[in-house]
Amino acid sequence: MISLVSILANAAPHAEAEGGGVGEIFRTFHVDKPFFFSQVASFLIVAILLKKFAFGPIQAMLEQRKGRIAEGEANLIKIQKQLADSEKNTAEAIAKANEEAQRLVNEAKESAAILSERKAQEAIASAQQILAKAEAAAKAERDLIKAELKREFGRLVTATTAQVTGKVLNTDDQKRINDEALTKVEA
Amino acid sequence: MRFLASTTAIWLLGLASSFAATEGVAEVHDHLPAHAEQIFNIGPFVITNSMLMVWIVAAFLILIAQLATRKLTLVPSGLQNFVEWLVESLYNFLEGILGKHLVKRTFWFFGTIFVLILFTNWFGLIPGVGTVGWELSGPGVDPHDKFRPFLRGGNADLNMTAAMSFTFALLWFYWAITENGLKGFLSHIFAPKGKFSGIMALMMILVFGFVGVLEIVSILFRPVALSFRLYGNIFAGENILENMMLVVGNNKFLAWLPPLPFYFMELLVGLIQALVFMLLTAVFLKLICDHGDHHDEDHAH
Repeated sequence: MISLVSILANAAPHAEAEGGGVGEIFRTFHVDKPFFFSQVASFLIVAILLKKFAFGPIQAMLEQRKGRIAEGEANLIKIQKQLADSEKNTAEAIAKANEEAQRLVNEAKESAAILSERKAQEAIASAQQILAKAEAAAKAERDLIKAELKREFGRLVTATTAQVTGKVLNTDDQKRINDEALTKVEA
Repeated sequence: MRFLASTTAIWLLGLASSFAATEGVAEVHDHLPAHAEQIFNIGPFVITNSMLMVWIVAAFLILIAQLATRKLTLVPSGLQNFVEWLVESLYNFLEGILGKHLVKRTFWFFGTIFVLILFTNWFGLIPGVGTVGWELSGPGVDPHDKFRPFLRGGNADLNMTAAMSFTFALLWFYWAITENGLKGFLSHIFAPKGKFSGIMALMMILVFGFVGVLEIVSILFRPVALSFRLYGNIFAGENILENMMLVVGNNKFLAWLPPLPFYFMELLVGLIQALVFMLLTAVFLKLICDHGDHHDEDHAH
């Protein structure tokens, strides 16, 4: 404890001397209140003026540019996304259109096949009908010719028979001779 | 070509400076005073030749900034491009030290500090600064200190460097407390780092408490160190230039020659000192605001 007191007692003159030293420094460099506070005021005014009129506008300009760049980048990303979406949509639409077109083609093919089949059937039916009609007409005509031929044949047979026999044939004789002759021809 | 141009400029600078020194003034002006001198008063405020210099530099910087931002174009060119490059580079550089959040708050100060110190240092090399002035006369005038220069290197004045340093010190406290909170600020200085328990925790509290006291002393001395470092370098540079001009003795037509190499050195010193002052102040702030958990990055996300 005593030693502590003695140390403090010894330190006091040193401190005073230090203070003197500091005072000497202050005197040498003219560091005193009016000079110092004037410089502080001057520096603060300069700093505020520089902030307002020098750094302020430049920083605002840089911020503005950064904002524009960020906005541009955001727009670019947005546009890229829109482009990707658009490409996706286009691809989907094309795929859908292809699918639809394929379906239509298939349907058309099927329809065409059905129609073709139907038309073929109709044509066949029509042809058959025409054939049947032709056959019927031919049959009718043949029957007619046949009847005429029979009639003519009968008349010829009757006439021949009448000339050969020299007698006049009645209707029953004519009919009988005709029938016999026809039966023999047909057989 | 550019080197030749700059060399010629420096040569002319030295020549003009020596003529200004030899013509202007003062046969009795045989030494550069260690302090700035009063030019006039505005009320209680003393206006010194160094302060005048700072104002001229500030006016120059404002003029340049205004010219650069007068006709803004989307694609910058010329002066706008140069000023944008300067400010943006400085901003990015400080952002690397302080982080996104802090640099946004404090760039105006660090930017001002750097640009102001840099251009004040360089303006101090212009011929006529410290050599053009007037002579005092009348009774009570010190015959060895009769010459009063109109201008003096802004940072060759301890009051100026101290004003910047102590303003930073106050802002440092403000930023540190607003960023950390008072509790966080104190714990940043005094609280033990790491996890301890039992008797170890008690010991660590004592140890870190003592370390905190040392830290406080260190914090209080920072502005003093900052002031004297900048002042010392710039004042020493001006002394060298002045004394180099005097080494030719009576052959004053050769006074421009000896300081010539030192102009190059002073250009470099001016830049380095501006950088050192800004870096130190920025690092001091970062140290107290650093949470060690990539706080800024978290904010950024």
